[in-house]
Amino acid sequence: MFNPKNKKRLLLMAVWVLIVSMALLGCSSGSVEKENSKSSNKETESMVTFAWPRDIGEMNPHIYNPSQLFAQSMVYEPLVSYQEGGELKPHLAESWEISEDGKEYLFNIRQGVKFTDGTVFNAEIVKKNFDAILKNAATHSWLGFISKIDQTEAVDEYTFKLTLKEPYYPTIQELAVVRPVRFLGEAGFPEDGDTSKGVVKPVGTGPWVLDEYKVDEYAVFKRNDDYWGEVPNIEKIKVKIIPDAETRILAFEKGELDLIYGEGVISIDSFKQLESTGSFVTSISEPVATRQLVMNTNKEQLSDVRVRQALHYGFNKSAMVEGVTSGLEEKADYILPTNLPYTSNVKADTIEYNVEKGKQLLDEAGWKLPKGKDIREKNGKPLEIELMYNSAEVIQKTMAETLQSEWAGLGVKLNITGVELTTQVERFKANEFDMNFYSNFGAPYDPHTFVNMMVTEGFGFREAISSYPNKEELQNQIAEVQQTTDENERQQLYTEILGSLQEQGAIVPISYIKKIAIYQKDVSNFTFPANRDEHPFTGISKKK
Amino acid sequence: MGTYVLKRIITIVPIFLLATLLTFGMINLSPVDPAEAYFAAAHIQATDEMLEQKRHEFGLDQPLFIQYVNSLIKVGQFDFGISYVTNKPVWQEISARLPATIQLTIGSLLIAILVSVPIGFLAGIKKNSGMDHLSRFLSFIGASIPSFWLGYLLIFFFSVKLDLLPVEGIGTWKHLVLPSVTLAFPLIALYTRLLRASVLENLQESYVLFARTRGVHEKIIMGKHVLRIAISPMITGLGMNLGNLMTGAIIVEAVFSWPGFGRFFIEAVFNRDVPVIQGYVLLAAGIFLTSNLLVDLIQMYIDPRISRRGRQYR
Repeated sequence: MFNPKNKKRLLLMAVWVLIVSMALLGCSSGSVEKENSKSSNKETESMVTFAWPRDIGEMNPHIYNPSQLFAQSMVYEPLVSYQEGGELKPHLAESWEISEDGKEYLFNIRQGVKFTDGTVFNAEIVKKNFDAILKNAATHSWLGFISKIDQTEAVDEYTFKLTLKEPYYPTIQELAVVRPVRFLGEAGFPEDGDTSKGVVKPVGTGPWVLDEYKVDEYAVFKRNDDYWGEVPNIEKIKVKIIPDAETRILAFEKGELDLIYGEGVISIDSFKQLESTGSFVTSISEPVATRQLVMNTNKEQLSDVRVRQALHYGFNKSAMVEGVTSGLEEKADYILPTNLPYTSNVKADTIEYNVEKGKQLLDEAGWKLPKGKDIREKNGKPLEIELMYNSAEVIQKTMAETLQSEWAGLGVKLNITGVELTTQVERFKANEFDMNFYSNFGAPYDPHTFVNMMVTEGFGFREAISSYPNKEELQNQIAEVQQTTDENERQQLYTEILGSLQEQGAIVPISYIKKIAIYQKDVSNFTFPANRDEHPFTGISKKK
Repeated sequence: MGTYVLKRIITIVPIFLLATLLTFGMINLSPVDPAEAYFAAAHIQATDEMLEQKRHEFGLDQPLFIQYVNSLIKVGQFDFGISYVTNKPVWQEISARLPATIQLTIGSLLIAILVSVPIGFLAGIKKNSGMDHLSRFLSFIGASIPSFWLGYLLIFFFSVKLDLLPVEGIGTWKHLVLPSVTLAFPLIALYTRLLRASVLENLQESYVLFARTRGVHEKIIMGKHVLRIAISPMITGLGMNLGNLMTGAIIVEAVFSWPGFGRFFIEAVFNRDVPVIQGYVLLAAGIFLTSNLLVDLIQMYIDPRISRRGRQYR
């Protein structure tokens, strides 16, 4: 049976099989065991697996790229926390006092808080963190209060004093941001104390500790059992790095993921499709920002408030928002979501869809429709407007196309131009546009960041609204609102500022942007964070 | 032979220079400012001063020519610069991810060889048989199906529906199967056709006829003689495709969340991380050039006429 020829062939085959299996297994011998131990652990501990498109980064609380906000917020905590409706609650600071002149902030640091390495959280470490941040003040200058800091001082073990050069009311609100004003433990600092070049290890006071981390693969966060606040229900959070949205969905459908959460993390169609299967729980957040249409009042066609209002009247906003976003966004009546601080009682007329009113306004503004033509003209010049959109954003593109056809009915020719995000930003800043999409930063940055952009050069808004007749008054009000120490006066000023911005019609609210979440049925108590950048894992639990 | 090799190595230098120039030119033709892209990725509304500071930090405020020469000098010292986004040396970032990409490349090469050799060989010796039709079908599909779509299809059937393999990630051999198959598919199409054609060609050669008249067993003719000779164009093809495999891995790595350097490159493109883009392109160019050179040398070794021909043309 075994003649030499057959033997040789058999041998050859055996060698092949050996080579192939060794090559396949050899690459991965280490990880086989791990996979086994992982599955046996599953029964004893609760873990929520969640997908994120990018690696979590180096977990440095004072630096931006490539760290991911949600991950930083799991480990590091702020002095003040931003809660539902813009309420600012004590967090690592138990309470605070602001001096009469609005320049001195005295924080009573919460006692009994420990970093995850056991060291005590006190005024001294707060000061050390502030010093590290201020070393790179230029990098953080986008955050208003950073450049206004005069000095920082640890008065005693649990009292920290922050002195500003001038009063700036949003200071407390800005202390709630995820970066850079969160606190690293002593052991995390490099020798020279300069965290901008990296941290030694991620030591925070937060409810989670980074337990296991493989670049571009996954990160596992373990519950901090000694957490000073409410200890999480879940023992572990595993973050899988999955860059592709379709793959995220497939992994979720298969059950390899418990949760998909975020903004734009999967397409609207996929969300709707997953929702329709009925096998998963879906959830949509409160508004986190407003999608706006910004008109450049420096352009002749758009300099007249009547034209701007006519355009606002001239499209069916609720149908467009519903149609384009399948209900994942909500029609917006106000330029900032009304769940932000000081935004809830803006008195401005909301504009309802009314094509006839729009046509009438255009006629009044002198843009008449010549006989036999489709486009309105004024002094022989056609009413032609360019709308710039981010070509990578399907929602912007579809909305632009919708507006193009809606406004054609008014006799307005809308040219739509798709550009890359950075080009969009550059052209907006350089005032080289007619119309552009924009969305505000949301909690905890607004409303002060948004209104501040109206008066600061270099962001595009100041230039865009420069032909407002009341622009000087606006500028004064905005300067005042940041400095006033009187709560009522501040509310009054915001109401006026936001009201008149809206009345002038250069910033058209389109829709309220929301976050989405889809999770498996055994996951419960999921809530969206009030702060747009925070993690959503505080109360989450999972049936065993 | 020595001069031939030397000559080949010297020609690499201008090609390499051209590659650096092209990459540099293309990146600078793009209207996107890396400093803006940096802040966009960090979710920061940057002021003009911040932008200027970043541009200075990246060296983008210098004239283009100086920027280019500086980057050349650094590349000459095997320094690909520091990633704008991660702030770490590009070489460190790439080499950390290289093993994963190599693993994927080897996996798919093996699959490509294991599948295409038997099919291509059988299709060649039995023209118009069932196997031949299968090979034709495979190559049409392989040549026309986009790899990202194939990836999703494979995930959908083998992972979500049949629950045989994991959807994404790296770790066990199970994780390697689907991405390797996806990456190997176009190669299978190519090699099957290549081998089939080569087998057919060899069957016409007189040595086959002589062997048959000598009464040599058909299996020995085919297995020992025809296959051995017919397979040589495939080896050339394999070498030339090594580069393609590495770069083709970009899409496959993104679909399967494979933590290789192709996926890192995609992220760098989105973030306009210029040093990483440059480093990647240079590395890819290097792989292409060396694998071509190696193939030529192997061919020369097999068939010494090649280098002699070179001498004649001189």
